[in-house]
Amino acid sequence: MTTVVTPRAAGTPAAPPDRGAPPAAPPHPHRSRLGARRRRSALLWALLLAGPNVLLLLVFVYRPLLQSLYLSTLQWNLGSPVARFIGFGNYAEWLTAPTTGRVVLTTLVFTVATVGGAMVLGLGLALLLNRRLRGRGAARTVAFAPYVLSGFAVGILWLFMFDPRYGLIQELLGWVGLGSPAWYTDSPWPLVMIVVVYLWKNLGYVALIYLAGLQAVPQDLKDAAALDGASSARTLRAIVLPLLTPTTFFLLVTMMLASLQSFDIIQAMTQGGPLGSTTTLMYSIYEESFVTGRAGYASAVATVLFLVLLAVTAVQMRYVQRKVHYS
Amino acid sequence: MALTAVAAVTLTACAGPSVGATSGDDASAAEDVDWSQVEPADEITFWSNHPGQSQAYEERIIAEFEAETGIAVDLVTAGANYDEVAQRFQAASQTDEVPDVVIASDVWWFRYHLNDQIMPVDDVLEHLGADAADYQPALYADYEYDDQHWAVPYARSTPLFYYNKDVWSAAGLPDRGPKTWAELEKWDAKVSKEVGDDGSTFGLSTGPSWGAWWFENMIWGQGGAYSDGFDLTLDTPESVAGGEFLHDLFHESGVASLSADDVMADFSAGVIASTIGSTGSLTGALDAASFEVGTAYLPDGPDGGGTPTGGTGVAIASSSTPEEQLAAAMFVEYLTDTENTAAFSQLTGYMPVRTSAVESETMQQTYAETPQFRTAVDQLADKARVQDDVRVFVPGADALLNEAIEQIVIEGTDPATAFESIAPRIETAYTENVEPYL
Repeated sequence: MTTVVTPRAAGTPAAPPDRGAPPAAPPHPHRSRLGARRRRSALLWALLLAGPNVLLLLVFVYRPLLQSLYLSTLQWNLGSPVARFIGFGNYAEWLTAPTTGRVVLTTLVFTVATVGGAMVLGLGLALLLNRRLRGRGAARTVAFAPYVLSGFAVGILWLFMFDPRYGLIQELLGWVGLGSPAWYTDSPWPLVMIVVVYLWKNLGYVALIYLAGLQAVPQDLKDAAALDGASSARTLRAIVLPLLTPTTFFLLVTMMLASLQSFDIIQAMTQGGPLGSTTTLMYSIYEESFVTGRAGYASAVATVLFLVLLAVTAVQMRYVQRKVHYS
Repeated sequence: MALTAVAAVTLTACAGPSVGATSGDDASAAEDVDWSQVEPADEITFWSNHPGQSQAYEERIIAEFEAETGIAVDLVTAGANYDEVAQRFQAASQTDEVPDVVIASDVWWFRYHLNDQIMPVDDVLEHLGADAADYQPALYADYEYDDQHWAVPYARSTPLFYYNKDVWSAAGLPDRGPKTWAELEKWDAKVSKEVGDDGSTFGLSTGPSWGAWWFENMIWGQGGAYSDGFDLTLDTPESVAGGEFLHDLFHESGVASLSADDVMADFSAGVIASTIGSTGSLTGALDAASFEVGTAYLPDGPDGGGTPTGGTGVAIASSSTPEEQLAAAMFVEYLTDTENTAAFSQLTGYMPVRTSAVESETMQQTYAETPQFRTAVDQLADKARVQDDVRVFVPGADALLNEAIEQIVIEGTDPATAFESIAPRIETAYTENVEPYL
């Protein structure tokens, strides 16, 4: 296409591209050949530079993805040398299985609680760490540290703390005269426990990203607001938060994708139990493929989760990004 | 990516399953090896979870084996428990990353067999002159299918009734376990006074590869069973009575409490005065408890009861070369010979798997010094009963049975309803994953 792009003034809509018009003939055929050669060499460079990455993606992401799609059409037991083709049978079974509703609901609750909680608490933490306090550097390090710890180790340690008989938390609750809930066994406490640990682990990450966003908020805007007599709450609402929307958008997408795929903490703490009360979609894939051994069915559930992730990303790209203010 | 979990499997399983073929035909072809023409391999791999915290022991046995035969054994920690080892073993099928010897627990070996992942051991043991008849018959018979044995017993256990002797004597009870569950309920009033408000007379924990194991004692005690052959019998009045007994233990008589995570930790800490634990937990309990630990047979119900056997055997991979298989068989024989099984039992509390080992001087001395070790062996002789087929042979059935048990224990669900909720899923697992391969 040879549409001429002109810098457009703020507020004026972009000129619609003239779709029906035939492309104008290139003015200098000689230069065009040169251009073609340059383009070819550029393409070669691009292939050379991106090639190894693309190759890795093909082998380790796209090929397994396609193979998993194929497996989802089989009735196949993990480890078995034989399988039976059943088309969409696994999908039909998932849609009608009595446990599906519970798994979807658990996934929903877990995702909303972890993403929402981490965003709100992370922003609060970032605002706190953004102040000129003594020991701020140390506080930032401490806040970020859990994020780099192994999720499995974190899960095991928190499991000790939650222990209703000997744990630190029942001790603390005891000081204020409260008994410990049966964290491991009584619904909904196991799910609450998982959410708390997940939040604790990921809060530092959210806070760190928000902190970077906060520091990019121009001081002159805040000064102007202060001159106009805006309260700090008003400044936060009218200036800081709108300017943080790119950060918020980025965090929303990454946190949601991460939360939907979280596995380590659940595996370390509850193994999806008791009675499936902490079995998320992701965890059910593991359970079906490795515990029950139904790898074909698990592949179908994995495809469902893949579609959910794709949809989440697409919706966010389409609707949320429009409301983002890039300063 | 979301598909990574399953993709990881497919990445390794390069060839993938063959669609439409039937299993079992090609398996028998590989069995006719003339072992006298085979030279053992120099090096083999053993995947273990080191049952009973036996890693150092396994390393020592391997060093001795290598010194004796020149065959090196690469010991791999393939998981923290039987389930994890099994998951990895299955995920590795059809790749080059398969061990020659692998842990094969009571609920997993048959699935290995259905997948053609392991070989029958009878011929090769006979060639080696290993005295298979000396394995404790009740333990060796567990691995028999199609008139062949698919593993040999290694870390074998039964559930045991553990009790706190100090509490027992303070409560004025005789120094023995209750003969029947009714007797335990009768003793509850005296015992619960001694354990305080936070504790309870009896505690249990649930979980896969665990809950559906000890519950066999209770359902058998009421005359029920999970299955008769492969036919589910969860809906018979006797089986439902088994569920009701469990329900009442927690929700009516209040004798039992649910231990959150590790029941042996609660027992060793003195929070619960008695529990059911595996034989393999005995050494740990003796070390950890500050009181004297008593062991006894599992109590009977009105219809008797009995104890299931469990734990793990070791199996030999069918995909290994005959040379590796022969070396593997030599190692398996060495690992479970009279002397070594006695040493292993002494160290961990698991049962000696050979009759000759029970009679050996090592074990007799151990029994004299620590009589608790004796209970499991006696119980095996007096009360062992073969596990119900559905639990050990149907993939995933153990986890489903445990789910019903958790419904009853945690949520107080009516037992008949709990059993009904899992029965169709067990039947599906059977028709999909077992029936076509029989």
